[in-house]
This record gives sequence, C-alpha cells and structure tokens, in this order.
Amino acid sequence: MSLGLFFQLLANGLMSGGMYTLVASGLTLTLGVIKIFNFAQGQFYMLGAFLTFAVTVALGLPYPLAVLAALLSMALLGVLFYFGVIQKTMPQGFFSTLLVTVMFGMIVSQVSLLTFAYKERAIPAIFPGTLEIGEVSFNWGKLFVIVCAIVVMVALYYFMKTKIGTAMLAAAENSDVASLQGINAKQIFWVTMAVGCGLTGIAGAFVAPVMGAYLVMGQNIFLRALLVLMIGGMGSMSGALIAGFLVGIIESFAFQFVGYLNLIVILVFVGILMFFRPGGLLGQPLPVPGE
Amino acid sequence: MSKAMTVALGVLLLLLIAFPFLVNAYTVQVAITTITYSMLGMAFAFTLRVGLPRFDIPAWWGVGAYTTALLMKAGMSFWLTALIGGMIAIVLGALVFSLAIPRGMIPFLMIGMVLTMAFYQVYGAVPIFGGWGGIVGVPAPTIGSFEFIAKRDLYYMGLFFLGLNLAVYYFLFNSKIGRAWNAIGSSLRLARSVGIDVVKYRMANVLIGNFFLALAGSFFVGYYRAALPVVFGFQAALFVMIYLIIGGFTHSLTGPILGAIIATFIPEYFRFAKEYQSIVTSVVVILILMFLPLGILGWVDLRIKPWLYRRKWYARLSRWGVKEERKVSA
Repeated sequence: MSLGLFFQLLANGLMSGGMYTLVASGLTLTLGVIKIFNFAQGQFYMLGAFLTFAVTVALGLPYPLAVLAALLSMALLGVLFYFGVIQKTMPQGFFSTLLVTVMFGMIVSQVSLLTFAYKERAIPAIFPGTLEIGEVSFNWGKLFVIVCAIVVMVALYYFMKTKIGTAMLAAAENSDVASLQGINAKQIFWVTMAVGCGLTGIAGAFVAPVMGAYLVMGQNIFLRALLVLMIGGMGSMSGALIAGFLVGIIESFAFQFVGYLNLIVILVFVGILMFFRPGGLLGQPLPVPGE
Repeated sequence: MSKAMTVALGVLLLLLIAFPFLVNAYTVQVAITTITYSMLGMAFAFTLRVGLPRFDIPAWWGVGAYTTALLMKAGMSFWLTALIGGMIAIVLGALVFSLAIPRGMIPFLMIGMVLTMAFYQVYGAVPIFGGWGGIVGVPAPTIGSFEFIAKRDLYYMGLFFLGLNLAVYYFLFNSKIGRAWNAIGSSLRLARSVGIDVVKYRMANVLIGNFFLALAGSFFVGYYRAALPVVFGFQAALFVMIYLIIGGFTHSLTGPILGAIIATFIPEYFRFAKEYQSIVTSVVVILILMFLPLGILGWVDLRIKPWLYRRKWYARLSRWGVKEERKVSA
C-alpha cells in the first residue's frame, strides 16, 4: 500500500469516525442519563443535512448559519418530541420509550421521503481543493469535518463540566439520589434530549458539504452508531469517542481490502468483543430491570 | 373449559377453514402474510416470557428461508428442508447463545442486533446466497404429486404451521417448563432462589423459538417462492414488536396474532394512500403506547371484561356447561 493511499484511507476513516462519534455520543448521552434508547437519532442526522441544504442552497445564506440552524432546530425537535410523546410513555418502562422512538423515526423518514424523494442533494463544498504534502493529498473538506468533530467533542467535554453537565452526570449515576441533592430531574430530561439531538443535527450539517444529503444516510449512520455504542460501552462518552474513530478507520481500511463486506469485519469484531467484554471497551453493563 | 368456550373455539375454527371460500384471492394472500407475521410475533412474545427481548428474529427467519430456497433449488422436498432449516437454526443458535445468554439481557439484545445486521450483510454480499437480488424461482412445495400453488392451499398450509406453533407453545406454557419460564420472567432473583437454572431454561426457550422462526422462514419461501435479503433486514426486527404492542404484551399467544391481523389487514384498506400508510401505522402505534400501554387485549382485560361480568346474560353464558361449580353449590 502506498503512503498516499494509506493517508487517504486514514482521512476517510477519521472523517466518518468523527461523524459516528458525534451521533453515538448523542445516543449514549440520552441512554446513559435518561435511559432512553433513541432509535430516531439517525433521522435527526439526515434532517440536519437536509436543513443545511435548505439554508445554504435554497435560501442562499452562509454556511455557519446553516450549522447553527441544524443544531438549534434539531435540539428543539428533540425537546418537542420529548414533551409530546416520550414523557407520557416513560412510566411504562424502557421498551415503550424505545418503541416510541422507533415509530417516530419511521414517521420522520416517511415524511422526508414524501418531501425530498430519493434524490441526492449536493451542497457546494465550503473548502474546495486539496492539501498536498509530498505525494499525499488531503481533501480540505474532509479535514474540516474532522476538525469540527474534534472541536464539538471538546466543547461537549467542557459542557459536561458546567453545573448542568455535572447534574446530568449525577442523574446518570442515580437519578433518585440526584433529585435528593436538589437537581431538577425534569429539566435534566429535556436538556439531555436537546443536547443529544442537537449533536446529531450538527453532525449532519458538518457532513453535508462533503457527502451531500440523501435519505438513507440516517439509517446507515444509526447502524454504525449502534456498533460504536456496543464497542465503546453504553453510556460512556470517552468510549464513544474512541470507538467512533475505531469503527470509522476499520471500515475505511476494510473497504479497501474486502469491499462491501467491510461491515461484516466490524460485526465480527463486535461479536467477539461482546463475548469478552459485554459492557464494551470502557462501559459497565447497564443495570437491567428485573435482573 | 366451559361449554361456551368450546363452542366459540369450534365456530372460530370453522370460520378459519371456511375463510378462503368467503373472500377473494387477494384477501387470502393477505391472510397468508398475516400468518407468517403472527408466527414471528409469537416467537418474540415467547422469549419475552423469560425476560429476553429478541432483536435477532429476521436472522433466524432468514436461516429457514435461505435453507429452504437453496435446498429446494437443489431438488429436495419442501418438508425436509423446513426440518433441516429448523435444525440449522437450533445448532447455530446453540453456538451463539451458549456464550450470550449467561451474560444477561443487554448482551443478548445487542448480540441479537449484531446477528440481524450480520446475517443481512452475509445474505446480500456472499455469492452463494444470490447477492442482493436474492434467490428467485424456487419450486412450489409438494406432497406426492400435489402442488401447493393455489392461494387457498397455501393458506391451509400456513394454518397448519400456525396451528402446530400454537399447539406447541400452548402445551409448553402449561407444562412444568412453562411455569419455570414464568418464574424467570417475573423475577430472575426469585427464580434463582427456588433453584431454577436460569441459563438452561432460557436457552431451551430461545432454541425452541429459533426452530419455529426457521419454520416461518420456510413457509415464507413456500408461498413467496423467493428469498430476498431486503425482507430480513433490521426493519423486520422492529416491525415484529409492533404486532405485540397492538395486540398486547400480556397475551403471549393471542396478542401477536391479533396484532398481526390488525397491522396487516387495516393498511391494506388504505392502499389508495400508500405513501401515508406507514405514517398512519406509526402514529397509531405511538397512540396505543401512550394511551393503551397493555395493547388491545390488555384493554379488553381491564375495561371490557369487568363490564361483561356485570351483565347477567354473560355470567350465565360463561357458567354454561361448567360442572364443578354446580357440585360446589349442591
């Protein structure tokens, strides 16, 4: 393998890994803090990308505004979804909320199918051209995505250090004890939902100029995020960070050697890992109701 | 069992047998689909009884379907391939689950998801399984020289499989092993404390479920005459749960069947608005989850039955033919 190809694959892997990390950390946050497995997460990602298309191409506004719009509107949608539906099904347990999110995802995907149809939307690159170092060339757009993913993860890290972030972590540890300490549990719920969905929306906005916006991107990334969660550990943020980049890189390199069987390589890896570390690399097995 | 119950079941059975003569071929086709989906829903409910949610249903369903499709194309009899498919599902399941089940519910659930995704990829990407186009042109199932091609015959074949499935599950639920499963489902700690080997009983449950899932797959190929990877995707694992929500989690046998009937037949009447079908279904399921968390049968148990018991004619009807009660009063 030439050096150029190696770095090319690495850049691809890091870019998709960054996206997996963002989506998976949204997923793991909602799962860890408020015990909701949000199956609609992938659709939020897809909506974020389409929103970027709408803002930059259809409305002709600058790209940073599109990122902001994707972040805020997806967070808002998550909060509305929480207050409208999830809150009412929470008392019935983990599976009811899981199924509600599955159904919500189906509604979103069908509505977007009717609105956008199976047509890929291309969004003009924000940073066109390539960076040449010797024989190695990098696409500026991909590098930008990697940097953005890292910046958002760092921002998330500092957000978790703030008062509300600490309260979220406390609620994740034990929500009853947290509320005894004066933490407003209701507030934690919708804030977590907003952060989780906003992270996913912003990931969609980042990736849109490189990959475009298309309907199945939500499903594709959700399956990867699920794998990231299994590898990194449920409810573990640092696990999501490591496993996200790991999955991205494995996928990118495996594609070079086995083509579209690359997902199977990851699945076998996950399968073996599940037997030796069922909680993932960095997570602990979740406490299970009734066990 | 009271006389009224026996009469009701008899009438239901007669109706089921007469059904293809009363409706058009298209409705029979929908009924056949419903039968397959009820078998899948029942398998989910069956394993939920031991506290394990299955996300690997499409995987084992696919094992049965692909075994039948491949072997029938090689000239084997349908009934033999169904049996072989079931055996393969049991053997593969034993291999995977002997490692997964001792680790508890969440690893089981996640391994289930991984299996579904992995099998889907394997069916699509490995050339023996026909790629993403699947295996088409599978011959029709036969007994002797009789071919199951007409919708009506296929419906009866499905009814036979469903009846077999129901009978086995019903028998198991009412035997000693079924009581152990109930104990595990209600409380794991309690079950362990009375000396139930949780892993062994869960294993038995999951493997029996696997066999019937593979059987459902074989039946699917029997009437669909093709095995396509798309059918066995991750979506199917989620759809199976819809039937259970609509029907009711608390009824392991009737719940999935009722749910499958509702979720298959009602969308068929909305064919004129095909684009909005899945939106309507999803909204209905969300509403059921929000307002009828026990499903339709759970709602019947909670609201309708108490109302009926207060009616005199119903009390008389339900006592009709029950001998033990008379002895007590006399």
